[in-house]
Amino acid sequence: MIRAEIVKLYKTVHTWIGVSCGLALFIAFYAGALTMFQEPIARWASPPAVGVEAVSLEDAPRLLELVAAAYPEAREEGITLHLRGHENEPARVTWVEDEPHEAGQPHGHVHWWATLKPDGSLMAKQEEPSDLAEFINDVHMRIGIPNPWGSYFMGVVSLLYGVTLIAGVIVLLPSLAKDFLELRIGKNLKRMWLDAHNVVGITALPFHLVIAVTATAWGFGVPLWSAQESVIFGGKQKIAMAHDLERWRAPPPTGEAGAMMPPSQLLQRLNAQVPDFEPKVMVFRNFGDKAAAAKFAGAERGYVGDTRFGGVILSAVTGTLIKDNRASRQDLDRRVGTVILALHTGEYGGITIIWAYFFLGFSGAWLFYSGNLLWIETRRKKARKEGEVEQSRSTRLLGSATVGICLGCVAGLSLTIVAAKWLHGRVADLDAWHAYIYYAVFLGSITWAFAWGAARSAVHLTWLCAAFTVAIPLTTLLAWAFPMLGMWAHGSAATVGVDIVAFIGALCFAWVATATAWRVKNGPADSVWSIRKAEGRTAARQSVAIAAE
Amino acid sequence: MAGGIRPDWWSKASAGAILGLGLALSLVGLYAYLGPGGINAPGGRYSLMRHLEAFVWIMVFGFCFLFRSGRAAWAWLGAANLIAFAALFACRFYFFA
Repeated sequence: MIRAEIVKLYKTVHTWIGVSCGLALFIAFYAGALTMFQEPIARWASPPAVGVEAVSLEDAPRLLELVAAAYPEAREEGITLHLRGHENEPARVTWVEDEPHEAGQPHGHVHWWATLKPDGSLMAKQEEPSDLAEFINDVHMRIGIPNPWGSYFMGVVSLLYGVTLIAGVIVLLPSLAKDFLELRIGKNLKRMWLDAHNVVGITALPFHLVIAVTATAWGFGVPLWSAQESVIFGGKQKIAMAHDLERWRAPPPTGEAGAMMPPSQLLQRLNAQVPDFEPKVMVFRNFGDKAAAAKFAGAERGYVGDTRFGGVILSAVTGTLIKDNRASRQDLDRRVGTVILALHTGEYGGITIIWAYFFLGFSGAWLFYSGNLLWIETRRKKARKEGEVEQSRSTRLLGSATVGICLGCVAGLSLTIVAAKWLHGRVADLDAWHAYIYYAVFLGSITWAFAWGAARSAVHLTWLCAAFTVAIPLTTLLAWAFPMLGMWAHGSAATVGVDIVAFIGALCFAWVATATAWRVKNGPADSVWSIRKAEGRTAARQSVAIAAE
Repeated sequence: MAGGIRPDWWSKASAGAILGLGLALSLVGLYAYLGPGGINAPGGRYSLMRHLEAFVWIMVFGFCFLFRSGRAAWAWLGAANLIAFAALFACRFYFFA
């Protein structure tokens, strides 16, 4: 049995870490839930393009030859042949080139796509794809703090998050048998919120532990890497890494010309030699060379994890298997590593798990929000016992910060998604605008929350979230009804799904806003969620409060 | 334990953060040498190790508040670090040098 003093000790640990890291974790979890549908969001945000279907797989050899002849850099960097026909694949063939730069210096990249004109000649265009999905992922990983400090910061937060999970379980264990899954709905609101916090936390505990461990490993990825090399490997890690890279690398060009096997035939050869592999794209390296290779990225049926690094490589001349790093051929360490990665990203078990992770992400965000709320309310109870009738300054400030940061993140992400359609073609650097819009809404909401206090601003900002989120499907509807606006409405299930989910989300925000508005007016006056002032002492305290703000 | 537990927040937390990381690196380092294939094993071990380190680090940090005092935390975890690092460096510089 766990002694009461240990429980008390860990309650303090749980509370303090929760309150100090909860807001960063809210952003990471909310944005992380959205990244579960990173690909549908990328497809939703991609303007109509020529499309993959414009060039059939049978005509692809001609397109590849023309690109390879006209763009020698593409031959070297790799020409990607798309197989799926998603909206974020602008054409059958795309490639990436380096921006002009000095050798060895960091540099940007430019994206190209190419298709065949009706007369069979080449049409190539440089066009930057939407970075919206990557931006959401950046917010998820570093909550908007630039690298590497954002990574280190989230490493610290994730480490403490792991500690607070352990602390939370220790606090809960003694009463687990008695209270578990018992949701005491009733007059005691705080008791009910605590029960809900416990149920959500303990049922999703395996998920949270995996997230805490992997996020700590990634946040401190670079320092841990260096520490491993200097303390453990003594230089051997570099060799192991080079060995890995070699296994994923296409063979070097010979300089002799070779006849390329058509993509459709290469796919047949792939299917014959690696039957359970489902390719998403194929990348040609050194097209036209005798040592040309076709790298396939995709997943193996029955195994967890994508092979992002071009796991399976065929000779583009003969179609024979050159390198085989698919899941079932990986060593045990990499297999375990891949599974752990997939446990974080939800890339196992198909669409069911994706949806489960989507809701787990939201439930996590809710845990941090409700945790802060519980802390504030507990402080209120303590204060009331001591004769105070109003919230202390620290609880009011934490209330405002909670409302401003959480709702600012939600509203900012929604509006920046909407901007993908409205600003496309109207601004020079849309990717930069995604960031400007997010930070403007985020910082604006925080300011608003401190200016108006938690109670009032919670109502305003939840309505703002609802408005910006409903703007996602409304934009699509407008684009569909008024094509002259220059926007687009894709019809695929994935992109319509984005609109539907956003619509349902907006309804939820509207409901929360109504409920909050009710509580603000009718709830207990000494709560941070009330705009009513406690009776008596009001005038004097009010002026103090205003001065304090 | 009759004397009860002292909170000792800062000394316990620093022991968990610093010595937890040390224990993580040294124990996972032992796995790198003694695991199947040894330190020269080709494959993804170096990549998996970061996750194992994060796990050990979180566990040590999480449970370090159970020590009776900050001094006890530093003493026990320090001793564990000494042993684990001695074993790791024995592997690195002597047995598998």
